[in-house]
Amino acid sequence: MTTELKVGIVVLISIALLFYMSVRIGKFGGLMQQGYELKVNFENVGGLDNKSPVQVAGVEVGQVKDIKLRKYHARVTLIITPGVKIPKDSKAAIKSFGILGDKYLEIIPGQSAQHLKDRDTIENVTAYADYDELFDTVSQAAKSFGRTMDDLNSLLGEKEKQDIRSAFQNIQQAAGEFKGLIADNRDNVAVITTNLAVASEQFQPLVQKAEATFSGVNEIVQGVKEGKGTLGLLVKDDKLYKDASQTVASLQSISSDINQGKGSLGMLMKDDSLYLDAKETVKNLRDMTDGINRGEGTLGKLVKDPTLAVEAEKTMKKVQKAAEGVQEQTPITILGTIFGILF
Amino acid sequence: MEETVIRVLDLYKSFNSHRVLDGINLEIERGKITVIIGKSGGGKSVLMKHLIGLMKPDRGEIWIDGVEITRLKERELNKVRRKFGMLFQEAALFDSMNVMENVEFPLREHTSMPLKEIRRTADDRLREVGLLGFGDKMPSELSGGMKKRVGLARALALDPEMILFDEPTSALDPIISLTIQDLIKETQMLLKKTYVVISHDIAGMFRIADKVAMLYEGKIIAFGTPEEVKKNPDEAVQEFLRATGMPGFVGGGV
Amino acid sequence: MNSVVAPLRKFATEFGAIWLLFLDTVYWTFRSRLKLGYLFKQMEFVGVRSLGVVIITGGFTGMVLALQTYYGFRKFSSEGMVGATVALSMTRELGPVLTGLMVTGRAGSAMAAQLGSMRVTEQIDALTVMALSPIKYLIVPRVLASLFMLPVLTIISDFVGIVGGYLVGVKMLSINEGVFMARMIKYVTLDDIYNGLVKAAVFGVLLSLISCYKGFNTKGGAEGVGQSTTQAVVYSSIAILISDYILTSLMW
Ligand SMILES: Nc1ncnc2c1ncn2[C@@H]1O[C@H](COP(=O)(O)OP(=O)(O)OP(=O)(O)O)[C@@H](O)[C@H]1O
Ligand SMILES: [Mg+2]
Repeated sequence: MTTELKVGIVVLISIALLFYMSVRIGKFGGLMQQGYELKVNFENVGGLDNKSPVQVAGVEVGQVKDIKLRKYHARVTLIITPGVKIPKDSKAAIKSFGILGDKYLEIIPGQSAQHLKDRDTIENVTAYADYDELFDTVSQAAKSFGRTMDDLNSLLGEKEKQDIRSAFQNIQQAAGEFKGLIADNRDNVAVITTNLAVASEQFQPLVQKAEATFSGVNEIVQGVKEGKGTLGLLVKDDKLYKDASQTVASLQSISSDINQGKGSLGMLMKDDSLYLDAKETVKNLRDMTDGINRGEGTLGKLVKDPTLAVEAEKTMKKVQKAAEGVQEQTPITILGTIFGILF
Repeated sequence: MEETVIRVLDLYKSFNSHRVLDGINLEIERGKITVIIGKSGGGKSVLMKHLIGLMKPDRGEIWIDGVEITRLKERELNKVRRKFGMLFQEAALFDSMNVMENVEFPLREHTSMPLKEIRRTADDRLREVGLLGFGDKMPSELSGGMKKRVGLARALALDPEMILFDEPTSALDPIISLTIQDLIKETQMLLKKTYVVISHDIAGMFRIADKVAMLYEGKIIAFGTPEEVKKNPDEAVQEFLRATGMPGFVGGGV
Repeated sequence: MNSVVAPLRKFATEFGAIWLLFLDTVYWTFRSRLKLGYLFKQMEFVGVRSLGVVIITGGFTGMVLALQTYYGFRKFSSEGMVGATVALSMTRELGPVLTGLMVTGRAGSAMAAQLGSMRVTEQIDALTVMALSPIKYLIVPRVLASLFMLPVLTIISDFVGIVGGYLVGVKMLSINEGVFMARMIKYVTLDDIYNGLVKAAVFGVLLSLISCYKGFNTKGGAEGVGQSTTQAVVYSSIAILISDYILTSLMW
């Protein structure tokens, strides 16, 4: 081997490696983009970039080629590696590598025997279970409940005012305890977030349920306003009041349980019982509204009282603050979700 | 009608506080062999390095072919150097090259001879110094005397106008020594070149020298034909000649 | 007082001398036809013969980086960042710097020793006497060879380092390959690689120039050669690290 040959071989190898690395980094664009194209329409692609990876079951199968705005929707064009077959009924979702990580596009393969071809569109899009969005839903629910409460309060009577006031004070206390609890458990937040994905998916239907409940309450109030139902009947019945205070008591017992250190938050989160408790609570709430709908309850006792309304609003604000406190500590905590659902 | 080709005027050189050259005045004639003798450590090699611009004097002038070289820039100095060949005391062979490449080197770099002719010339030179067939050896594989002869072959390769020999025959056995003396004398006679030779081999060098200069304590204390130098009354000269222990020298009563 | 001034003076003198040698080298590079034979010989010496040590250091550095960052990132559940971290560290810093230091140790020291022994055995004088520029024959090929071969070696070091990181990260620690590669590809840009190569070229010039300077100005026989060699390695290494800082801050 001559000197020139040896040098030549080494230099050529290094040039080949440099070329390979440059191509892999993908800034030589055209060369990398082999494969067929698929299109997906999203409401929102925030965080997704050109060259963001496309994965199926965690395996990269292509990348985002192009993102364009179309009728206020985002039209994403993907390049899929040849040989990777995507069933027709597959779903597309934007996900992220961990809480802080980058976004990528996940294709959840469907069952269909037919496969998408070049330039086809993936029709099923899973609305991205965005944590921010989840919070939005929760706070919207909370607001609508707040409105409902306002309307309701305008109908409350003198004695009930006292009872409900004490009930709200209990809630307030519970909220305070929650707040302290969250502060105490700052360290566990990391652990919580790990469990979050699972939990949030579980809570999604719960939130919807809660919303349905609130709209039910709204309906009642609307009905009462419009003069439907028999107020006399409602007066004789203490069930609503009892249900309400029972709910508060159970909420309190959960929080004091947590406070007393029965397991760390992480454990509680893994524990389905909390989830079940929450579900139960919502169910109770729904029972209550159903009861009101059916004409049972305490509405006869309801008298207009502005002070009670003010009190109720204050309480709501505090509850919301507590929820915000949770929000500040982490993009989302399970407790925030619980609060949202319960109120 | 001798023509002076190298003229040294009042040359001084010290290393730190050690004065080596202390006002040298010397004239070297074109087409002659000038032998410089003197005791070891006396400054002969230093003087020779001044002649070719490897060392800069503290003071004094050196004229070569009418050009004063001590203040020349490297570029002009190189023009002067092109007239010279030099054999270093320790041969200074390039140890990354084999013997043949060493001898070929000046030819390759300074002539546009075809490769074949370069090879032939180098072969000739190696034959003259008795090392034909050693072309493939590396300098580290040679003895001191062999290195010396390769160095000699390299100095002769370009047939320069002037050659400086720093002890060409030291480290050689008497027979090869004689061959080398003859080689120097013959090439010089044939080509009418100017040779400056440093040597301790007084007997040998007096045989081929046209002029002899004796360096003593930083000065040239004797200069002339070998006969003139032999008759020089200076005690230092006489002592130096006597010390060779050779019969037939003036004053050197056997 | 003198103990402060004297070293400073010496430093300034050497700095100036190296700078002048650099200018001379540039001058001789362009002034005459390149001696391709000498250049290739040096490229082989600097490049090809340093391959082994560069591959070993690069590979193990990548592996250690992966291992080390893995334990850090795992605390944040972002093991996927290991690939990007290894690749960025290798291309931006460790590839060029390690290659520079390794070549200094291997070839820089040899340059100083070679030129040093050529100086003390008067071979450099012999060149001068032949009216041939020692800078052109001895220094230009070494500096150019280093200038060309350091980026080449750095590419190889980068690559081997990343492969080492990949082996440890994906094969040993079971980091998800897709995330590992995606993150790496996302965070490493061509500029990271190219800036690293520019650095490597600068290091090549620095180490060869300093080593040649030290060899060229050797005094005092075999012992002097030893001293020059040591100083060449020390000064070159320091120069590489200091210039690395400067270059990094300029390029960022
Ligand atoms: N580069 C140098 N630096 C310092 N001193 C030197 C240098 N070169 C020579 N000398 C000193 O100059 C003096 C003369 O040295 P030179 O080599 O000229 O002697 P020489 O006459 O050639 O002796 P020899 O016959 O043994 O070769 C010596 O004392 C030596 O120590
Ligand atoms: Mg001498």
